[in-house]
Amino acid sequence: MRLNIIIGGKAGQGINKVSGIIAGTLNKYGYFTFNYRDYQSLIRGGHNFNTLSVSDSQIESHDATVDILVALDERTIKTHEHALKKNGIIITADQFKKEKQNLNIALAGALAKILGIPLEKLEDEIKLQFKIHNEAIVSAKKGFDSQKIIYQLNPLNNKPLILSGSQAVAIGARNSELKLYIAYPMTPATGVMNELAKDQIKNNLTVFQAENEIGAVSMALGSSFTGIKTMTGTSGGGFDLMSESFSLQGISEIPLTVYLASRPGPGTGVPTYTAQSDLDIALRAGHGEFPRIVIAPGNPIETIEKTSEALYLAEKFRTLSVILSDKHLAESEFSSNIKPNKTPQFKITRKIPGKSLVKNSSYETDKLGNSTESYTLTEANINKRITKYRDSKKFIEKNFEMIKIHGNKKSKNLVIGWGSTSGAIKDAIKDLDAKFLQVLYCKPLSPQIKEELEKASKIILVECNVTGQLGRLIREKTGIKIENRLLKYNGRPFHSDELNKLIKGML
Amino acid sequence: MKPNLSTQSENTWCPGCPNFMILESVKQTLTKLIESKKNKQTDFAITTDIGCHAKIFDYLNLSGINCLHGRAIPTAIGITLGNPNLKVLTFAGDGAVYSEGISHFIHAFKYNADMTLVLHDNQSFSLTTGQPTPTSQQGYTSKSQPLGVFDKPMNPIKLALASNATFVARTNARDIPHMVEMMTKAIAHKGFSFIEVIQDCLIFNIEANGKDKQMYKIKDNRSKKAAEKLAEEFNYNSKSGKIPLGIIYQSKELTLQDKWSR
Repeated sequence: MRLNIIIGGKAGQGINKVSGIIAGTLNKYGYFTFNYRDYQSLIRGGHNFNTLSVSDSQIESHDATVDILVALDERTIKTHEHALKKNGIIITADQFKKEKQNLNIALAGALAKILGIPLEKLEDEIKLQFKIHNEAIVSAKKGFDSQKIIYQLNPLNNKPLILSGSQAVAIGARNSELKLYIAYPMTPATGVMNELAKDQIKNNLTVFQAENEIGAVSMALGSSFTGIKTMTGTSGGGFDLMSESFSLQGISEIPLTVYLASRPGPGTGVPTYTAQSDLDIALRAGHGEFPRIVIAPGNPIETIEKTSEALYLAEKFRTLSVILSDKHLAESEFSSNIKPNKTPQFKITRKIPGKSLVKNSSYETDKLGNSTESYTLTEANINKRITKYRDSKKFIEKNFEMIKIHGNKKSKNLVIGWGSTSGAIKDAIKDLDAKFLQVLYCKPLSPQIKEELEKASKIILVECNVTGQLGRLIREKTGIKIENRLLKYNGRPFHSDELNKLIKGML
Repeated sequence: MKPNLSTQSENTWCPGCPNFMILESVKQTLTKLIESKKNKQTDFAITTDIGCHAKIFDYLNLSGINCLHGRAIPTAIGITLGNPNLKVLTFAGDGAVYSEGISHFIHAFKYNADMTLVLHDNQSFSLTTGQPTPTSQQGYTSKSQPLGVFDKPMNPIKLALASNATFVARTNARDIPHMVEMMTKAIAHKGFSFIEVIQDCLIFNIEANGKDKQMYKIKDNRSKKAAEKLAEEFNYNSKSGKIPLGIIYQSKELTLQDKWSR
């Protein structure tokens, strides 16, 4: 069972509240939801919409074809009518104009009735989400009473929880007892800053907004130097600015964890949309040669786990850890009843200033941490750093999940992808003779990838970028060129029904 | 007990460079603080930028980070965020701070982190062979600007005051006792303390050298109006004006640490 609902309107009309109330109600009613947020770079007006996908089993994507269209304005109907299925339903706002600021709540009420959710379940959710809720409940009831039940959803026993990728990074960071998050705002990375800032006093965690990304990453290195668990985060443009300091991390070996939430570039691109076009910079940004770790979780549960792994590895190997996400993972709302793996716990045991004499430097140094231009020391230091990378690779291979295989594990048809695209791929191959190899660690790359590629008779690469960045990485590391590529780069993520058709066409 | 602040690193400053005297002043200042048991040697952390001044990192037996160009200030602020109990000193040059790192300089006054910036101003990018910096005088010719600098120099003291600095001092690299006095007061100041050290470069931009005759010492000043006047006296461009040395301005404001621990 799967339903897709588009809720559209102008920015400021409260479409997120509609999807939020309905998703919350449905989750408690035992249904899984996935909410995709499509919004423009403006504060009031324009056209924003959410696609809320509903299912009786775990889903991590939305479809292009729609069952119900909830239109807060005329433009929503014009824009999305074509996506509506034959017997699709449109709920318009006209009939609820009297509800004024609670127009969206009335529409949520109407939607609940169409789905066959009991009124009291909806009311419970409204009470939970609004401190002052009396008027909202009246409006919800008006909406509810205006419709007939069309889909009789019966209660199920699942108990999924809603999480966005941003919330998941914050949870992972708190699980690892992060003390400082230093950043400069940039969509779609800011979500993590907001999440961590919410209860920062209660959580004994400081969120500090620096003057720019260069300041943020420099401060993060300074703070980490003192033995404090520190993280910074940004999107592609900010990551570019931070690049020089990644290089400083490489030579100074001050642990640094960076959250990179990418969006379509180059330049400002389409800033509130999504792309997987920054894998290259995650892998290579910064001058000189130095070790790093790049991890790309595919959903919030993996994000919780991988954020902790990134912090753990940065400290253990005194390296740069990059958690690579994007707008689609950061801001989509997933529901899941899977519990994340146990967090790798760690204490900072290296020498720290205040207690010992510690010198770290952007120069090559001697044993005492003072500058050197010696060719023997230069070479020895470089060898030490490269050895460290080999050690980290061995450790990760032994201890952490670097890839996942989904779908029909015996299939000779292999789909390969990573990050936020994983959800759509998982859902797209459910009825296909295909398995999906999800790459979680982009650096180091699992040796199992080559084995899997060699076993497959057909390989299809799926990514949200134009050059097939993971494909190029795999070719570099394995010598295998993947000919079949499904690449999407219009700022929008793959829909699972769209992807199902595309993969089917290639098999 | 006398602390050992020296290292075994070979000193590669040019013979006669005033940086030697700045190094000596730092050693004297910290030795007094450590001997009087106000601080332990490990209580100090330094950050240095890139340039001749930054070699001081190798000559001081102190914890710290030898940073990237322009980034010594934000890295130091990070250290104060990580461990507010450390006494943090940043050594940076006029090129590093006023060109590459100018945004950090302005914001540092706004944050008012409890740390000290010692700014070695020789009006030249000397380690890269003498290109002009934002405080180089008009007409200064170098290999990169053979036609001479067209622009008037920046006045960092005015900029600091406009940025709500809580401690601004100026000293002379040839005057060790005065440098020690300024450094001691700057370290004692609660907040971001900025010391401009006027320093000659014996190799590049030698026209800017020899300003000692213009210099005179002032009493510690706490009036903003008087500070603004004092800041105007030297414009970094001509040798006709006077150059006041001493605490040009000091005020009490909440530090970054105070603001976060409220």
